Amino acid sequence: MVDKILDGAKSAIEKAQSLAELENLRVSILGKSGELTVLLKGLGKLSAEERPKMGGIINQAKVSVQDLLTERKNILETIALEKRLLEEKIDVSLPGRNVEMGGLHPVTITLKRIQSLFAKNGFKVETGPEIEDDFHNFTALNIPKHHPARAMHDTFYFDEGSVLRTHTSPVQIRTMENQKPPLRIIAPGRVYRCDSDITHTPMFHQVEGLIVDKDANFAQLKGLLIDFLRAYFEKEDLKVRFRPSYFPFTEPSAEADIECVICGGEGCRVCKKTGWLEY
Amino acid sequence: MNISTTWLREWISPKVSDEVLAEQLTMAGLEVEGITSVAPYFEKVVVGHVLSCEKHPDADKLNLCQVDVGESETLQIICGAKNIRTDLKVIVATVGAILPNGLKIKKAKLRGIESFGMICSESELGIAGNSEGISELDADAPIGQNIRKHLNLDDNIIELDITPNRGDCFSVLGVAREVSANYLIDFELPNFAVISQGISSIATSVSNTIACPKYLTRSILGIDNSVQTPQWMADKLMRSGQSLHSPVVDITNFVLMELGQPMHAFDADKVQGAIEVRNAKSGEKVELLNESTVELKDDTLVIADDNSVLAIAGVMGGLASATLNNTNNILLESAFFEPVSIAGKARNYGLHTESSLRFERGVDFGITEIAMDRATQLIIEICGGKASDVKACIDKSALPKLPAINITQEKIQKVLGFELDSDWITEKFQSLGFEINQQSNNSWRITPPSFRFDIRIPADLIEELARLYGYDKLPVQKLSLDANINVIAEAQIDKYEVMQSLVARGYQEVITYSFISEKYHDLISPEAKKIVLSNPISAELSTMRSSLWAGLLQTLESNQRRGHSDARFFEIGLCFAGVEASKQSNKLAGSITGNRFDAQWSGEPTPVDFFDVKADLESILALTGAKFIFVAGEHSALQKGQTAKIVLDGKQVGWMGALSPVVAKELSLPKCYLFEINLKLP
Repeated sequence: MVDKILDGAKSAIEKAQSLAELENLRVSILGKSGELTVLLKGLGKLSAEERPKMGGIINQAKVSVQDLLTERKNILETIALEKRLLEEKIDVSLPGRNVEMGGLHPVTITLKRIQSLFAKNGFKVETGPEIEDDFHNFTALNIPKHHPARAMHDTFYFDEGSVLRTHTSPVQIRTMENQKPPLRIIAPGRVYRCDSDITHTPMFHQVEGLIVDKDANFAQLKGLLIDFLRAYFEKEDLKVRFRPSYFPFTEPSAEADIECVICGGEGCRVCKKTGWLEY
Repeated sequence: MNISTTWLREWISPKVSDEVLAEQLTMAGLEVEGITSVAPYFEKVVVGHVLSCEKHPDADKLNLCQVDVGESETLQIICGAKNIRTDLKVIVATVGAILPNGLKIKKAKLRGIESFGMICSESELGIAGNSEGISELDADAPIGQNIRKHLNLDDNIIELDITPNRGDCFSVLGVAREVSANYLIDFELPNFAVISQGISSIATSVSNTIACPKYLTRSILGIDNSVQTPQWMADKLMRSGQSLHSPVVDITNFVLMELGQPMHAFDADKVQGAIEVRNAKSGEKVELLNESTVELKDDTLVIADDNSVLAIAGVMGGLASATLNNTNNILLESAFFEPVSIAGKARNYGLHTESSLRFERGVDFGITEIAMDRATQLIIEICGGKASDVKACIDKSALPKLPAINITQEKIQKVLGFELDSDWITEKFQSLGFEINQQSNNSWRITPPSFRFDIRIPADLIEELARLYGYDKLPVQKLSLDANINVIAEAQIDKYEVMQSLVARGYQEVITYSFISEKYHDLISPEAKKIVLSNPISAELSTMRSSLWAGLLQTLESNQRRGHSDARFFEIGLCFAGVEASKQSNKLAGSITGNRFDAQWSGEPTPVDFFDVKADLESILALTGAKFIFVAGEHSALQKGQTAKIVLDGKQVGWMGALSPVVAKELSLPKCYLFEINLKLP
């Protein structure tokens, strides 16, 4: 009897094609009124000797059926998963769904880099207004009215006598008015000249530095600028040339030229064949 | 300023090439912007003498010439120029010559007759000059002489960019002095002796001696101004960029280029009564040499006679008293005008002259007499005539004071960072023409010469020493490392962090002009104060921005036009509520438009909305840790019902919302969302 049930269960379980079918089979065999459960319930009718023997056989059959069910369930689950994976297969080479990265303006990237290089030498960033008074933009920088250097500046004026700052140098004056030495600052920012053509924009950026210290000297300034330029252009042997020039508010005044970074000093269109770039 | 190296070398000639000399000048602070040769390379071109000139038997337009080039045999040359004629001195390219245009001169046959060379024009030699036909040389040109030598073509033009402090270098003399100091070659000003007779016929007075401390005049009577300016002078003037006029004007221009003293010559017969140097009366008029008539302001110094203004002092002469080819009597002027009283005057009248350029920067007040004599000497030599004595109006008390400056070796070392040898210092001071009044081992008391009016304080002397030593040779030092570490609070964020988080959210930073058009101002912030430039580049760039939105919307508009319709931009920069420093403050603004994501395979694109931009703004506000709230509001640039004020601690610190459809229509913009907040970050 038990063997017959077991054989029937075995072939039915092996044929089962879904988990639901399997569950139905479990109920019909092992459920409350399942075939083996019914047999187990009928044990009471047997003699005391036969009862444990028969009970053992039935329980053994239940375990076997359970094992068959579990085994079949695993197989059916694997099949179902494989089917699902197949269904859910995607083309991983398709592009992602996202907001593209933006970017910083090249001028900002440059200023940030310059600031961080100078910060390593203890320079603080100072800023100032862009509409300046005549005193801070000119007079305090030793450029009195009618000084020829004013003509070189192509200044934007306002009716009130204010100007758009022609250089970042007024920040030096404002810093010295408000802070006690020693000072180490750089002043990056927008400056304005009334000039607009293919090589000039009426607004551009400058960075300038100021050191005020008891023992500050020209040799240190030269050393600092050479170090900075070599770090900035990532070239340890970058050639830097200093030549005398004139700024009303500095003395000794120098222009620094760097070896043309395009042609390496050979002479090209960018450096106007001189091999040097004015910096 | 352009200067010919052969002219310079007549004064002082270091034994180096022109290129090396130019490099040295640059490194000494007289920046050489360019060096160009007067003529390109060619050779075997000589002076020839046309002995005979006959028509070619078989060609109407050709001539058959016999030309003497100083060889034993004359050359038979066929020439097609109209101005070829017997006895002319000409430029002959002989067989074997290669001209700058690549033409090789060979023995040739033209219509059956042999030709042994070519008669040239200056343009065929690659040099400037009149190229109507062939060049006609002076009758006394030596036959057979190399044309390079004859026309002084082995000459270079050095273009100098002279800084405003070195007005003394606007002359051959000034540059020669620099060369002298650089190469330690002794150099002395030549003596220009003049025999003068009689007194100047025109009375002269100066009523504003502050502006004109020194005014010299001299009459030269009975000149012939119709003669030709000599070639040597013409060459020098043209190579310095000066055009040629009559001999007298050319001579004054020559002295200006040679000695740096601007001069003027009046036609003495056109001067009415006496000369007075005075300020113009407001509204007085003068017709200038450039044939423009200007109405003068009373701050302008003029030269006047009894009736009218003859010239704007130090700027330009008047047409009425100008010298012409038929002028017989002249009044020559050599003056020192004080720079501040000349500065800006030329520009006020839209003028810029060689004279004003020099007087504005400063002219050597010690050269006035010398220049007068030099010009007189040249005029008598070239135009003849008799020179009078010099009439001099000089107010010594108004002349610039030459300061005595004390300097010590210790001070020099402190500034330059290394020790210069004391003998070397003395030698350099002397080479610059500085007078050393007192000297010990390591200190000097210096008086600069009258031409170095830029030398006023010890720092000026140190700069002179540094540049003569050579900036390139100055040693370098490391900065001492005693700078404090700058204190930065841990909670402090900087603007780069804000920028970086916007970049991560897809924003592109832009930098737009701080000045915008009035139209944008009126559309975006009509209630804000309008700060307008007096001299804008254009109406589009005339008004200082009070909001960053103008620039963002313009950027948006130009991106739309280029088909870039999904865009997120931000800018950080000053906005202007007034011209005072306190009314200029940093703002951060952003704009978004188009779709939330780029066009994508997986679904329909969804347009951005208010809450996208709000999320972006909240994400950066969150960096501050402060509590911001959004309150419905109204803004002229934003859409009613989709506008929020951003409030911090009860104060409004910004705006956000959809761009007003009215503004969007006016600027042809699509739907977009904006924000702008005040930014107080390092």
